[in-house]
Amino acid sequence: MAIQTQTYFLNLGPQHPSTHGVFRVILELDGEVVVRAIPVPGYLHRGVEKLAEARTYTQVIPYTDRLDYLANMLMNWGYVEAVEKLMGIEVPERAQYIRVIVGELSRIASHLMAIGSYAGDIGGLTGFLYTFRDRERILDLFEMLTGSRMTVSYFRIGGVADDLPEGFIPLLQKFLADLPGLCDEYDGLITGNEIFQARTKFVGVIPPEKAINYSLSGPNLRGSGVNFDLRKNRPYGIYDRFDFEVPLGKNGDCFDRFVCRMKEMRQSARIIQQALDGLPEGPIQAKVPKVIKPPVGEAYTEIESSKGIFGCYVVSDGSNKPYRVHFRRPSFINLGCLAELCVGWKIADVIAILGSLDIVLGEVDC
Amino acid sequence: MFGKGLIKGLQITWREMLAQKVTVQYPDEQIPLPDRYHGRFELDADKCIACMLCANACPNKVIQIERTRVGKKQYLTKYVMRIEYCMFCGLCVESCNQDALRFSKVFNMNQYFRSRVRLTLADRPAPAEEPAEEAGSEQEAKKKAPAPKKPAGAGSEAAAGKS
Ligand code: SF4
Ligand code: SF4
Repeated sequence: MAIQTQTYFLNLGPQHPSTHGVFRVILELDGEVVVRAIPVPGYLHRGVEKLAEARTYTQVIPYTDRLDYLANMLMNWGYVEAVEKLMGIEVPERAQYIRVIVGELSRIASHLMAIGSYAGDIGGLTGFLYTFRDRERILDLFEMLTGSRMTVSYFRIGGVADDLPEGFIPLLQKFLADLPGLCDEYDGLITGNEIFQARTKFVGVIPPEKAINYSLSGPNLRGSGVNFDLRKNRPYGIYDRFDFEVPLGKNGDCFDRFVCRMKEMRQSARIIQQALDGLPEGPIQAKVPKVIKPPVGEAYTEIESSKGIFGCYVVSDGSNKPYRVHFRRPSFINLGCLAELCVGWKIADVIAILGSLDIVLGEVDC
Repeated sequence: MFGKGLIKGLQITWREMLAQKVTVQYPDEQIPLPDRYHGRFELDADKCIACMLCANACPNKVIQIERTRVGKKQYLTKYVMRIEYCMFCGLCVESCNQDALRFSKVFNMNQYFRSRVRLTLADRPAPAEEPAEEAGSEQEAKKKAPAPKKPAGAGSEAAAGKS
């Protein structure tokens, strides 16, 4: 005799630590198995795009820090890049190099957070503490450079706000020297852990075609084995000058996405080292008018942020305030596949899948 | 062999147990702050020429300036920051070309009451010498230059009381 069962709904979030902020998923469950997942974003919506319309071009920069607050420098970069394209500004060499250095540091900080919190999601909070310990060193560097740990507001249209302070480069060199050892530590602590592997391998598999169809980007796309990294495929800034590899996954499961981030950190360190070696002297700010008034028109630029392709679209009506700003936020678009990915997995796996997508809600909700 | 990874992980945590501590006991010990730290604002009211550049640079309209004309120059009478709306982005400090507005390293700005959060960096009467058309009559009592400067006004008193 078959037992009659009924599906029921479970509300995951918005106040749940594993949803990495204020994200809500409504799960329809059959026992413990997910039948349907309905993601509900929007709890952190602040209307940054609308706020930007009432600010001058420079005044928008502090708001971009608050999109992906874990990779704040990259968010700054995406925005100023668009305005620079609109105005046709040439950024000085030194500023370009500094941008690469801080941008890649941001990427490492973001990935440290991603892998640490992922370890925590899977049930090993210890890993989280280790990555946090080392992320702190990057935040200290940022604090030294910009005065703030997370809301850096460091990029300016046409350059960067300040030159590297004294003592910055030795500290950075030390961090770069330590980083491979630290990564080995995380590998030993998290990646090599059998329980972690059992929880993540072949869970939440995204085949390459599906990843492309869902317009995934960043480590989520590369975890499925699709070799696409804007820094390589369509280099912006001075990325064509650096020698680095793009780590790829094979199976497209949670584990591969995690490992991609792990390997990307080592590559980022390589890029920073090369940028430090080639760091030229010179101005850090292009000659831009005091009041920034781009000509009437529009510009769209994309950069490779830590979560994927971060695009920024700016429309100018010739005044000193943008007519419209739109951000293509990778976390938001990467979330698109969540509903389909979760079906058929158990509740604990939903956490593993969500964590492996590495979303940050400041960016999802914007 | 299953369990090898677990043992390796344990070795790492044991090693860490014997390593140096990375945290400090906060109120007793403090980590040094860098020079560029974005702490509470400081205003050198004598240097300030009340040009409003900082107020206009602010994305959130945090800075409220009152000024009067003394002779040919603008004279700053009141400088209030609605610090509860401040993002500590530094655009105001960057825009000040008189080096009047600066960041300090004071970070404990939390208050028990919302009304105390507001930061009054300068609140002084205009000097009542020379022409002083409008403000003159009220401020006759306080004559001449050394006007009572309160560089960090009420905010600092409250914070000092707390810390
Ligand atoms: S730090 Fe930024 S938000 Fe705060 S007062 Fe200055 S410009 Fe305004
Ligand atoms: S603080 Fe500086 S920018 Fe602001 S009004 Fe005074 S002189 Fe001008």
